[in-house]
Amino acid sequence: MSHSDDGQITLIISNSIAELQKVVDFVDNFGAANNIPKSLTNDLNLCFDELLNNTVSYGYEDQSEHSIAVTLSIVDGWLTAKIKDDGKPFDPRMPGAAPIDGTMQTRQIGGLGRGFVKALMGAVDYERKSQYNVLTIKRKIAEH
Amino acid sequence: MDISEENKGDITIVEVKGRIDSNSAKTFGDTLTNLIKAGRARLIVDLKNIVYISSAGFRALLLAGRAAEKQQGNIALCNVSSEVRRLFDLARFTDLFPIYGSREEGTAKLSETLSPFR
Repeated sequence: MSHSDDGQITLIISNSIAELQKVVDFVDNFGAANNIPKSLTNDLNLCFDELLNNTVSYGYEDQSEHSIAVTLSIVDGWLTAKIKDDGKPFDPRMPGAAPIDGTMQTRQIGGLGRGFVKALMGAVDYERKSQYNVLTIKRKIAEH
Repeated sequence: MDISEENKGDITIVEVKGRIDSNSAKTFGDTLTNLIKAGRARLIVDLKNIVYISSAGFRALLLAGRAAEKQQGNIALCNVSSEVRRLFDLARFTDLFPIYGSREEGTAKLSETLSPFR
């Protein structure tokens, strides 16, 4: 974990589902240290689960270990989170989710995670920088 | 995530605590489907103490729901907080799984679906 002078804190994980628990603890600890409402850190953790699961599961062509950087900060009253990985180009803002209707037997799940991120976060920004996906999600920290 | 079971006649109440996410969804799903395979196909899942459920958890719940239907059973949910209910609404899973205010209400409703010829 690293801290920068502008208050950002970064956790590096490797590309495995088991590593996602480190992100949960990272967010919870940051939230507690900065008096962020639990409802917001829970929503952020849900979004991280969706985004990082997607990266780990589908982001790489090889079987090698890759590093994923997760950065948290508070900017102008917004809880801001950034994910940087060297996986295949992927913009989660793009449409293509499976329809959310159907019976128990026909219903599909694909794209549900992207829908959660879009609904739970105030802003979602994506850039491809050199060989990296850089995704920034953020939401205004509501006053108590 | 912690998960526990309690039988009430022909109905099994499954209580889940914690997060249903990428790391715990398989355990959650396996618990439900193993009950169904063992003939306990009428389930009430008590979500009072979950923090959230991610799409991995929804997928596990959907697969269990399919398995229950094939066994002429069903899965209902109870004690869903407003924050978790919001996720079910976003996912349109309220169309698929009934949500009750309490275990007692869920048990009573599921019991109504049992055959009177026992």
